Amino acid sequence: MSTAVPHTAARPGPGRGLAMLWHQIRYEQLTFWRNPQSAFFTFILPIVVIGAFGLLFGDVGKSSFFYGRSALQYYIATITALSILGACYSQLAIVLAARRQNGILKRVRATPLPASMYFTGLLAHCALVSTVDTVLITAIGRAYGVPLPSASQWPVLVVTVLLGAAAFCALGVAVGSLIRNAEAAPSVVQFILFPMVFISGTYMPIHSDVLSAVTGALPVKPFNDALLAAFTDADAGFAWRDCGVLLVWGVLGAVVAVRRFRWDPRPE
Amino acid sequence: MRAPVTPTASARDAEQARTADAVVVEDLKKSYGPVQAVRGVSFTVRHGEIFALLGPNGAGKTTTMEILEGFRTRDADSGRVDVLGLDPGERATARTLRERIGLVLQDIAVEPYLTVRETVARNAGYYPAPRDIDEVIELVGLAGMEKKKVRSLSGGQKRRLDLALGMIGDPALLFLDEPTTGFDPNARRSAWQLVRALRDAGTTILLTTHYMEEAQELADRVAVIADGRIVDEGTPATLGGRNTERARIRFALPPGCSPEDLPVTALPGEDGLVTVESAEPTGTLHQLTGWALARNTELAQLTVDRPTLEDIYLRLTGSGRGVPADTPHKKRGRARKGAPEKTSEGSTP
Repeated sequence: MSTAVPHTAARPGPGRGLAMLWHQIRYEQLTFWRNPQSAFFTFILPIVVIGAFGLLFGDVGKSSFFYGRSALQYYIATITALSILGACYSQLAIVLAARRQNGILKRVRATPLPASMYFTGLLAHCALVSTVDTVLITAIGRAYGVPLPSASQWPVLVVTVLLGAAAFCALGVAVGSLIRNAEAAPSVVQFILFPMVFISGTYMPIHSDVLSAVTGALPVKPFNDALLAAFTDADAGFAWRDCGVLLVWGVLGAVVAVRRFRWDPRPE
Repeated sequence: MRAPVTPTASARDAEQARTADAVVVEDLKKSYGPVQAVRGVSFTVRHGEIFALLGPNGAGKTTTMEILEGFRTRDADSGRVDVLGLDPGERATARTLRERIGLVLQDIAVEPYLTVRETVARNAGYYPAPRDIDEVIELVGLAGMEKKKVRSLSGGQKRRLDLALGMIGDPALLFLDEPTTGFDPNARRSAWQLVRALRDAGTTILLTTHYMEEAQELADRVAVIADGRIVDEGTPATLGGRNTERARIRFALPPGCSPEDLPVTALPGEDGLVTVESAEPTGTLHQLTGWALARNTELAQLTVDRPTLEDIYLRLTGSGRGVPADTPHKKRGRARKGAPEKTSEGSTP
């Protein structure tokens, strides 16, 4: 529409782009750590749960009920998954709904910060928190005498954690995009999450073929299983099928997020 | 707050040479479903001026602003919208445009747990050539509060932080949507001073406000929008023919007199005062005072005034027409039924 010559002088080079991304990640971290609520739900809760499970199930040795693992070996994996669900899916859905409603997203949109960098900042933050959660839970497990994953499984564990973090971030943004009312966000998030973790074996191993078939196609159980393999099976490599299901859910979430995400509190 | 603002951008001179006007809007239209919110709005904002868009809630003011800011799309059959030579609806140039405009919007908020300085520093990092962080904090009057968390600021202080975020990128064009709502009178005057200083340093400012005093004090030119159309445009002094409007002489009728006893035509008002309208107030006043002196009486509460910007605004937007003295908070009466109708047919030049 405009016939004016485009402004070419100040096009940012890749160096400035990286600097801005780093800047964004730093401030996203700062924003998170300053908020006592988010710090509580993403760190304290999983630590308390695994701490309590250690006391409750510390003596329960390997059994077929826990797929041939000790109780605590099993829970290290599922509670790690749970903490990543909290840090990525719940956190993002609630935070984005709230930021949209009170106008923080619109303020971001009013600046030249590209949307891709805003989301990369969030993703990097979630990946970092997920990593810290994994390390903390592993360390607590070690304190209760659970053996560390075998050396060959560490890269598998790292990749699985990051894949799960990314997939549940995408799902979090998707759910956060569909929620109109920020006050309802925590309930909507829990309404989806709680039954899901319950039937996906997070608290109790699943021994029903029907339930396994159903939840195997949902995102939480494949993540639990992939982490369980990464934590406890020596030289098991990747749980390809589980990672594949997770990836599909991640892509699905990303598609919904891209199509439905809004910056503006008032829909057009 | 401290003035003057140091002029920074030499790029701004290039900007002004490149485009004739900062903002050009021609026949802008926007519908929400069957509702036409904006029905063919046209106006032009020149480089380096403060332009105020006035209008009641729901008149299409905010919609127009948000289209210019790139937050909303416009109808396909709209005419031209040009902001600093760019189309705000064009995604490819959105980032370039955002680097050169600043926004202070009503429904904008910032992270509650960051401090004032962190908030400003965070946004400074988004611009290619931002202003100095501490200078901006001082300019908006938040010096000494750098380490305060945003959540502990008062409403007026948050608004000033908004203003800091609007100007941190050193914009060529600044959008201010009701910038001083919630300010106390002192803070408002300081904000006006700052806005004027920004204008004097070369920033073009597009402002909306509900305060006629603010438009009067700040704007170089104003446009009044009502029912999705521009109903008039001019300087605060000439809007709606204000400069050529008849003067109004008002006083309390002396005891025992009726309006018919007066040497000139007077209209009684509900507040017990009578109003005399005159194109030549000097002569009319002479007649009246001569009459009073000859009868050895007093014209109590005598005032002579012209319609205020608010009177004109209310008449243009249709909310004050023919209803005298229905605003108890305001002493002066409004434009009366006898006043000539100056409403122009849109403002397309």
